[in-house]
Amino acid sequence: MAVNQELLERYHSNHCTPEERKLVEDWLFSAEVDDLEPLPFNMDKNKLKQNIWESIDKGKEEELTPLKGRSNTYFMFKGAIAASLFIALIAGIAYWLIVKTGQDNDFLSLNNSSAQQVKHVDSKGYNVAVGPNTVARINNIAGVIDLSGSLLISPKKDIDLLFEGTKKKVTLKKGQTYIILKNKAGAESIIVVSERNLMDLPPVMQKQITTQFDI
Amino acid sequence: MINLLLRRFSIPMLLLLILSGTIGCVKKQNSDAKYSFYILAKDGNEYLLTSNSLASGLLKPETEGVLLDIKDMDRDVIVKDGHYYHLNRKKGIFSRFKIDNGLLNVSATLSLKDYSIENFNWIGRDTLLLTALNNSGYNTTKFALIDTKAFKIIAEGEMDIPKPSGRFTTLSIGLVEKRKNHLLVGYTYHVSTGVSNYETSDTMYVSQLTYPDMKLIKTQKDIRSTYPGGVNTIQSYNFTDIHHDYYFMSCPGIALGNRPEIPTGIFRIKANADTLDRDYFFDISGSLIQNHAYGMWNLGKDKVIIRSERKDLFKGLGDHYSTAHFEFYELNLQTKAIKKLPLPLDKGTRRECVLVEGNTAYIAVNSTKEGNYIWVYNIQTGALKKGLQLAGDTDFILRMDKL
Repeated sequence: MAVNQELLERYHSNHCTPEERKLVEDWLFSAEVDDLEPLPFNMDKNKLKQNIWESIDKGKEEELTPLKGRSNTYFMFKGAIAASLFIALIAGIAYWLIVKTGQDNDFLSLNNSSAQQVKHVDSKGYNVAVGPNTVARINNIAGVIDLSGSLLISPKKDIDLLFEGTKKKVTLKKGQTYIILKNKAGAESIIVVSERNLMDLPPVMQKQITTQFDI
Repeated sequence: MINLLLRRFSIPMLLLLILSGTIGCVKKQNSDAKYSFYILAKDGNEYLLTSNSLASGLLKPETEGVLLDIKDMDRDVIVKDGHYYHLNRKKGIFSRFKIDNGLLNVSATLSLKDYSIENFNWIGRDTLLLTALNNSGYNTTKFALIDTKAFKIIAEGEMDIPKPSGRFTTLSIGLVEKRKNHLLVGYTYHVSTGVSNYETSDTMYVSQLTYPDMKLIKTQKDIRSTYPGGVNTIQSYNFTDIHHDYYFMSCPGIALGNRPEIPTGIFRIKANADTLDRDYFFDISGSLIQNHAYGMWNLGKDKVIIRSERKDLFKGLGDHYSTAHFEFYELNLQTKAIKKLPLPLDKGTRRECVLVEGNTAYIAVNSTKEGNYIWVYNIQTGALKKGLQLAGDTDFILRMDKL
């Protein structure tokens, strides 16, 4: 599967499958720029190239005879460089639109692969402490959260979030701090408590949480 | 016409305003109040409220309560003789507070670094014994004996209780009972595999320690249940009856021990014994209650009130505290008779919610449908009626204490 406009749009509105999301992210973060493949309408690449060069040569023969000495390779490179620059520009804009602004407003992606340390993130919408071995994505437009691990989160405005793949919905209130835990699949394993209700959790868990998040 | 109306009503309105203002002030400044409530409001604020009566009236935390600074205060507060005692675990400061003129003021502090209180016991009128674990690992048992009048530490140190070994990493102290020359300490061990996964040993331990040296004399094991008692700054799990027999509850349910396959039960240590009564066990989960329970309060005359969960009404730990599913039962510890109290379902996983005075038990219930009330239970006749209402922003009555 290739990255195309439709896929980018779906990625932006968080309707991708995990495979598609990975593909887009790989593409976005990749420094390499691919050739423009596949070609539209199943055109033959070599034939198309030939046609282009022929039409250019035709024009050159008529008007630009002094430049005849230049080889086809020169023009091919020139075209490739221009195309590369164009693609890089588009990718840059897409990256800025989707990742950079999205991270602050619409889409928050959190990843902490450390087994011990907590990672602190201050985004435009939340203050978050990401627990060890935690991966989380929050889509603010669709109001969806996907989490594996633990978060200590304080939203900067009231927000309703639905846990991806479940019917579990939570309301997080501005200024309050919440502990969100999810280690297994299914709605039953999701725990969302305000920091003020922490003492309702089993003491053994409280001790783990207060130690981990230093609260 | 408008002028006439204004004139007719302005004076009575003015009088009413002055009067209501005065009442408000009187309530706020009532330093001789008999009862205290710890309220968690719907907006996340926390309040202390005081009252002279539990049997009637209406209180609103947002207008009559003392708004708490949640950095310094929490529901694990010890209340005695008009004072509140609380440990700021992070700062390592144990403070004494008093409500004056509608404000909660600190009257004394002392340093208790690396303490996480598990149990408190009043050894005398002004002598408080705190048993705790180290914050730095929850694997070492500590104690502090405090003179609450001078607000000085009389003695402190470690307790001679075996540290977790083998696969176990932490422990919990669930009960401490002072006998004449020694202490009885109940505890169990845990293994944690992340913030939301842990397991408790299937065994509970009761050790006898010298007092005040805290040296180990002997340890008794019991596997009829596990997780003896609980953190008693949050909720009560034990008491000594008029015969000096000691009763405590075990809590293996998901809210404490997380060994739901093991039954919740009540144990006894007789007055003249220093070990568990092998012949006494009140199996609550195996009774018609068929659920785990957390919390026990003495009504006198062999009767207790327990607070038990309804496993058919909650999904897991995620909604255990927010769903109203708790029921109250009256148990007779001798005959093992069980009587369900006709109260609305209560919410909040752990709460200090029962006070007993003579033949009356006051039960604080957070009902989603009927509101937050103190219910007045006549222990002799069994009559139950609504008393004081906690209205306004009240979401949870987390504590109800005698001042």
